[in-house]
Amino acid sequence: MDPRTRKALEFVLDNLVWFMLLFVLVVFSIFVPNYFQLGIFANIIEASSVLGVMSIGLALVIIAGHMDLSVESVAALSAMAVGILFCSSGIGMGVQLHPEWLMVPVSLLVALAVGGLIGAFNGYLVVKVKMSAFIITLASYIWVRGLVLVISGGRSAQDLAPAIRWFGIQRLVGLPLTAWIAVSCFVVFSLIMAKTPFGRHLVMIGGNETATFRAGIRVNRNLIIAFVLAGAIAGLAGWLLAIRTSGATANLGVGLLFNAFAAVVIGGVSLKGGVGTLPGVYAGVLLLSAINTAINLMGLPANFTQVIHGLLVLAAVLLDAFKQTIRQRLA
Amino acid sequence: MNEPLLVLDNVTKNYGAIEALKGISFSIGKGEVVALLGDNGAGKSTLVKIISGGLEPTSGRMLFEGKEFLAKSPAEAKAAGIETVYQDLSLCTNVDVVANFFMGREITRKFLGIPVLDERAMEAVVGNALANAGTRIPSLRANVEHLSGGQRQAIELNRFVHWGGKLVLLDEPFAALGVEQTRRGLDMIRQVANQGIGVVIITHIMQQAFQVADRIVVIRQGVVAGDVARNKTSPDAVINMITGETLAGAGPTG
Repeated sequence: MDPRTRKALEFVLDNLVWFMLLFVLVVFSIFVPNYFQLGIFANIIEASSVLGVMSIGLALVIIAGHMDLSVESVAALSAMAVGILFCSSGIGMGVQLHPEWLMVPVSLLVALAVGGLIGAFNGYLVVKVKMSAFIITLASYIWVRGLVLVISGGRSAQDLAPAIRWFGIQRLVGLPLTAWIAVSCFVVFSLIMAKTPFGRHLVMIGGNETATFRAGIRVNRNLIIAFVLAGAIAGLAGWLLAIRTSGATANLGVGLLFNAFAAVVIGGVSLKGGVGTLPGVYAGVLLLSAINTAINLMGLPANFTQVIHGLLVLAAVLLDAFKQTIRQRLA
Repeated sequence: MNEPLLVLDNVTKNYGAIEALKGISFSIGKGEVVALLGDNGAGKSTLVKIISGGLEPTSGRMLFEGKEFLAKSPAEAKAAGIETVYQDLSLCTNVDVVANFFMGREITRKFLGIPVLDERAMEAVVGNALANAGTRIPSLRANVEHLSGGQRQAIELNRFVHWGGKLVLLDEPFAALGVEQTRRGLDMIRQVANQGIGVVIITHIMQQAFQVADRIVVIRQGVVAGDVARNKTSPDAVINMITGETLAGAGPTG
């Protein structure tokens, strides 16, 4: 094989999800009536912001060789905290700050802090007590959702303060600011993972934790930071979710975890750790969103989405195995 | 022997009721190559882990450059100037050669105060280091999982030669190497020692020990069973020490 074909083939393999996304968009544009519109594409990006942000945190921890099942519940708790503080009806306390814009950083800080704290709790138990991340975060998934129910009493908060809502309404180049927040998160964290020592260390820890420890990398510190980041990012996802629904309900975001997992796996992240990139994850998120949109437009019952997502995850895992065999042949 | 670099004084290690090390005492001088020999389970790897910060000793003390020394983590040992090459390879196969070479010591540039990896500078350093050692690896950007066992071990060896430090511990470094690469590896060890770096090499192969070491230390059942200069002993005498046919502590007479 001459070097150029080899290079091209490697490029395709590295960016396979993006090609899949492109392929799916082209197919839908041709066969689904009204799919090919700028508005639809904008909608795909917009609809994927919450899921996208949540997937970043999940992907970080999985790339580092661990697991965070709590992201969905953490997002819900953050959204509920913001909802209770800054909603004016339902169980909302309608806290007012002057000037009004002050509510934006304060609510954001609340959401990030709630998420970061739970992330720190998860990380501490995983790293210091050396319990399995799967079990720890499964427990968090359950108790944090329970906490949402407890503090809300099962009721909801409505009418989020307009100053915060503004982010969901104000548009820039056809996209609401919330979508831009998601996109910039992907850009920032992709750069962190690819270009900084911290990101490099996370990938290596996911590949061979013993080797990184022996090499003098502070594995525990890096892992705790990864868990805190995953929690804080889930908190941000919760903040976006609160804006999107203009409040919070006790069952807010139920099922997002499985979509986030699907996006991460489809995006080429290996559950074994050490493999995967964030741009790939974003492509996975967009792919799911593009398919949802197509199902909506075709007027199929929404229940089909779940069947298709499940099959997509299977396809992604099979594809990954296939990619491995091709790579082996290339090397 | 010249000035001692590392002195071990009655170091012990217990795993529960099992005494892996019953009191090890010996020393390593600057620029000296010590071959650590012993049967399987004699406690060689445990000893290496204690010096390199992977394990804490149960009792005893160590002096490094004349000062009390105890590494609580590999990072501390590294900071003190102790490099280790482990028996099971310590490479991350999911990243490329350059990333492995610089694991934990990446070259960075500041960009808006944030450290950013300087890939080009790192690649140049790795390219030079490998070329100097005569190691050929097709692409420095290939993930290590696609490289052969020999190439992987070559990366590890080149890594320690490059970083140097003050003391190098090698735990069976040539297990996966071919004849030519082993010869080159032994040369590397000599070259490193000539720079004044102390070297401890664990090996099972008597011939290698006699080729490279200045002194041979034999460990048997958790104690030092022999500590002799290479030119004052013979492979047969050393084998006797390893298997215990000579009294512990007694150097061979012939």
